[in-house]
Amino acid sequence: MAGQSSAVASHTGNNPFLRFVAALSNVAGWCSAGMIVAAVAITCQMIFVRFVLNDSTIWQTEAVIYLAISATLVGLPYVQRLRGHVNVDLIPLSLRPRARYIMALFTLSLSIVMVAIMLWFGYDFWHLAWERNWKSDTVWGVRLWIPYASLPIGFALFLLQLIADLVAVVLKIDKPFGLEDV
Amino acid sequence: MDPLTLGALVAICTIVVLFSGVSVALGLLIVSTGFLMIFDGMRSLELLPEILFGKLDNFALLSIPMFIIMGSSIASTRAGADLYEALERWLTRVPGGLVISNLGACALFAAMSGSSPATCAAIGKMGIPEMRKRGYPDGVAAGSIAAGGTLGILIPPSVTMIVYGIATETSIGRLFLAGVIPGLLLVTLFMAWSLYATWRSGDQELLASGNYTWKEKFEILPRVIPFLLIIIGVLYAMYGGIATPSETAAVGALLCLIIAMVIYKLWNPKDLWVVLRDSTRESVMILFIIAAAGVFSYMLSSLYITQSIANWIGTLDVNPWVLMGAVNVFLLIAGFFLPPVAVILMAAPILLPIITTAGFDPIWFAVILTINMEIGLISPPVGLNLYVINGIAPDISLKTILTGSLPFVGCMVLAIVLLCLFPGLATWLPDAVMGAAR
Repeated sequence: MAGQSSAVASHTGNNPFLRFVAALSNVAGWCSAGMIVAAVAITCQMIFVRFVLNDSTIWQTEAVIYLAISATLVGLPYVQRLRGHVNVDLIPLSLRPRARYIMALFTLSLSIVMVAIMLWFGYDFWHLAWERNWKSDTVWGVRLWIPYASLPIGFALFLLQLIADLVAVVLKIDKPFGLEDV
Repeated sequence: MDPLTLGALVAICTIVVLFSGVSVALGLLIVSTGFLMIFDGMRSLELLPEILFGKLDNFALLSIPMFIIMGSSIASTRAGADLYEALERWLTRVPGGLVISNLGACALFAAMSGSSPATCAAIGKMGIPEMRKRGYPDGVAAGSIAAGGTLGILIPPSVTMIVYGIATETSIGRLFLAGVIPGLLLVTLFMAWSLYATWRSGDQELLASGNYTWKEKFEILPRVIPFLLIIIGVLYAMYGGIATPSETAAVGALLCLIIAMVIYKLWNPKDLWVVLRDSTRESVMILFIIAAAGVFSYMLSSLYITQSIANWIGTLDVNPWVLMGAVNVFLLIAGFFLPPVAVILMAAPILLPIITTAGFDPIWFAVILTINMEIGLISPPVGLNLYVINGIAPDISLKTILTGSLPFVGCMVLAIVLLCLFPGLATWLPDAVMGAAR
């Protein structure tokens, strides 16, 4: 079936590297949830200022958008750890254990290469914004390297979690696609 | 290479990559990156992070995490069971009151949570055992909840509609309104079938429900009315022109959390974290697919595939309804394997030009598309709702759940036919409330 493979977080065993990465991903998850809560609070404050105080709002809309984007990117490793990124596991489900294992190695490696590419160019993009001191063309004029930082940070942590997942499958600490956990 | 051949190649590669088990969002990024690298050169990859970030740079997207928080805070409480009980107590004199209450509760809970599996779980936990205890056939008990749960993505506020609105740049307010009458139509069809199936099973006594005193009827109201008021308030704020969908969703999310804390005593930080964790997981998953699908649609239009398909369809001399039939079959098949959000995001950039070229209304099409996705939710091999019901009532076999759900698939197909014959069912309400489009 398609869907989140499981609500169960990926296994770490007693492996210090896996535990460290899991802890990092958990912290990223808390930060992501915190940013979403902050976005809710700021939006409510914005409505209060606009409709109750009858005042104009300057920074709120932009801040809320950047918070939601950062929550998404920084939340990627945490959702990966919870196996929350939706996938179609119809074929992996129908494979024999050995073939499923090879398939898991293949898909995880492909994902790692993809995220590494995003990290590489994401860092480049952030660095450009930092070096040239880009600012948003609004009244608030926020320095764009701040929200753009979520690209390299999010993808770096995501990459780390994917590598940890690959290591866990290779070391037989976790099952390919986490399927036996269902 | 000819853009149409390239398009076919992209389609094949996307299917292969997605079926390998890689996550949908990363799969879309992998296909996009591969094709951009080969046909547009390495330098085009430099743009990837900017496009990805840009696709998320939209205030309307904010309504997704907000509505998800609203839904999960309600789903984490006993609100579903209370809603079901309230309807059952009030509809006691209606023939077949129990199954009607279940479907009504599904529709209302769907409106509050916007999620199909959550609706199935919340109403089914109480509804299925109660229906079976009273002797309703297992197939009707399981099928009605599985089908009732699918309403979550059609009745507003629906995350699926928001995603369609963003992917196709269609008004989210209009889309929400367009889902109301078809949603009610589906509930009516579901109810009619459930009553008929129960009547046919031979036990007429089932159609009569239990008796409740007025005290029992009134004492349950304080627990369900606040949530209903929030939903009415959110929709009023949106259509009264007071605030945008994202703004009203934020207030709705905050109020639902507060009510869950006050009425259902959701004080424990651990319980609150569960609501936040689930909301974060679902929001990040959906928003990442949106960003990746943005890169995918950039690749399609950068390689001139989208435009070529639209032009090609324009030159084909086919009856628009034949075309619509083909699109429906495509959506049905896609919905069998992929979650609604992924189908919409992948299909919208390709299908929308085809639909508008053929002269169909994109708002009306959103409803057709959503009902197709609903069918996917209760059909194998994916059928997320079937598995949710299987989890709630493990002693009902998956086969019984499936055969019980099949007639409801028939109701949905009937609704699609009715919508094709009378498009006004979807377009009348948005036009009446917000003025004619264009």
